[in-house]
Amino acid sequence: MAMYSKEELFLAISTVIDPEVGFNLVEMGLIYDAVCDDEGNVKVTMTLSTKACPMHQMIQQWVKEAVEKMANIKSAEVKVVWEPVWNITMADDNVKKALGAV
Amino acid sequence: MTPISQEFAPPFKLIAPYFIIGSIFYLLSTLLLFIFDASSLSYLDPQVISFIHIFLLGFVMMTIFGAMAQLVPVVLEVGHFAVELFYAIWPLLLVGTLLMAAGFVYFPTLLPYGGLIVLISLMIFVGEIFLTIKKVKQFTIVMSSVLVANSFLFFGIIVGLIMALGYAGEISVDIHTLLKAHVYLVIGGYVSITIMGLSVVLLPMFGLSHGFSLKPLHRAIYMMSFAVLFVVIASLFDVDFLAYIGYGLSIVSQAIYFYQVYTIYKTRARKENDIYAKSLIFAYLSLVGALLLGSLSLFVSYEPLLLTAGWLLFFGFFGFSITGHVYKIIPFLVWFERFSPLVGKEKVPMLVDMLPMRSSEAQFVFNGVGVLIVMFALLTQNSVALSAGASFLVVGALAFVRSVLYMINFKK
Repeated sequence: MAMYSKEELFLAISTVIDPEVGFNLVEMGLIYDAVCDDEGNVKVTMTLSTKACPMHQMIQQWVKEAVEKMANIKSAEVKVVWEPVWNITMADDNVKKALGAV
Repeated sequence: MTPISQEFAPPFKLIAPYFIIGSIFYLLSTLLLFIFDASSLSYLDPQVISFIHIFLLGFVMMTIFGAMAQLVPVVLEVGHFAVELFYAIWPLLLVGTLLMAAGFVYFPTLLPYGGLIVLISLMIFVGEIFLTIKKVKQFTIVMSSVLVANSFLFFGIIVGLIMALGYAGEISVDIHTLLKAHVYLVIGGYVSITIMGLSVVLLPMFGLSHGFSLKPLHRAIYMMSFAVLFVVIASLFDVDFLAYIGYGLSIVSQAIYFYQVYTIYKTRARKENDIYAKSLIFAYLSLVGALLLGSLSLFVSYEPLLLTAGWLLFFGFFGFSITGHVYKIIPFLVWFERFSPLVGKEKVPMLVDMLPMRSSEAQFVFNGVGVLIVMFALLTQNSVALSAGASFLVVGALAFVRSVLYMINFKK
């Protein structure tokens, strides 16, 4: 049985905020998946709003640290993928509204 | 905490001088506007040439070079070959620009020295960029644009040095023949293609645009490259019709580029009009104005048309594109250096918190009004309006210097 559910992992990752737009990565829709096995090994699959993001490495590191802060986590691996390509429809409604996208 | 690679954000102390000096040259160029008499302006006037070099080398090039220290790895997706070389570029560019500016107006013998120092500075920059590009394995259109632009810059500065030697009487060359080649290589070949390439990375990044085609950019860069080649050949071999084809191509290229920017604008998710968005909108409207007046000047023989087109291109398009991006680049670099190590440990400011709202707005409004008044002054050859416009621009430039210093010195 998984030590943490996807929702619990997403909640932990939601403490990571993109300093450019001011929203957390989960509500931006940048976190695609997060799984934890019964030994506390976590795999996060995420994307970024652009390949050219200069904060690429930093954001990846923050996500890793946010997960590692959870109790009994043994390891955290964060993979950045570019498929599917992120777009604003993946963000929560409050983000879309704040950015003026709806 | 695991250390974070600095590969994509060089130390801020390396880049800060570029922005500080660039903003001071921007202020200096607005002050110089007071010396001009709008009724007898000519682009061949030594004072105008001096002014253009202060603006282009001191502000445009200085700021672009500082920005490139950070943007090149972002765009090329590889680390710099030797980012420390940027410590040497700005002092040389600063001294060279001042010597050249003085040389054009007061002491022509200084020109070759100033030109040589600028040449060394730009060669270090171009060399560093080429060696960084060598690390790129797969080229995108944006990466190719950096390569093409810097190749044009390389030849543009060589032509510039030859002209400087001729101006000082050291060698015998027809400066007017080389002028078109120099202008097109540097302005069309380097500045315009650099802006084209970088903007398709930066505009979607900040506007969260997706789903647009890059075909217009391909066409715009090809056309501008051919335009530059045609004008250079026409300039060297005195072939008038080829020059006109080059002028036409460069105008069409910029129009296609404008369409590219429009598609990015239409697909943006971030609709808020912050200082960045407003600056860029003003910049691109100025580009349209410059294109219209530039096109008209091909058919109507009235020098103020060409001067006004150049004015809108330089102070409107280049000026506002650069100031707009400065409001994004400096906060990021300062934030990266001062606040990113604190993430997760304490509350850190967002990038928007680091913007000086009042002075950035003042800069936008005063410079915008100033650009429009000077445009009117140049078109109508009205010296009073020129001074009035210059007054607005000086206030705007002071606000810009203040904004730059505020962002650089930002503390929680």
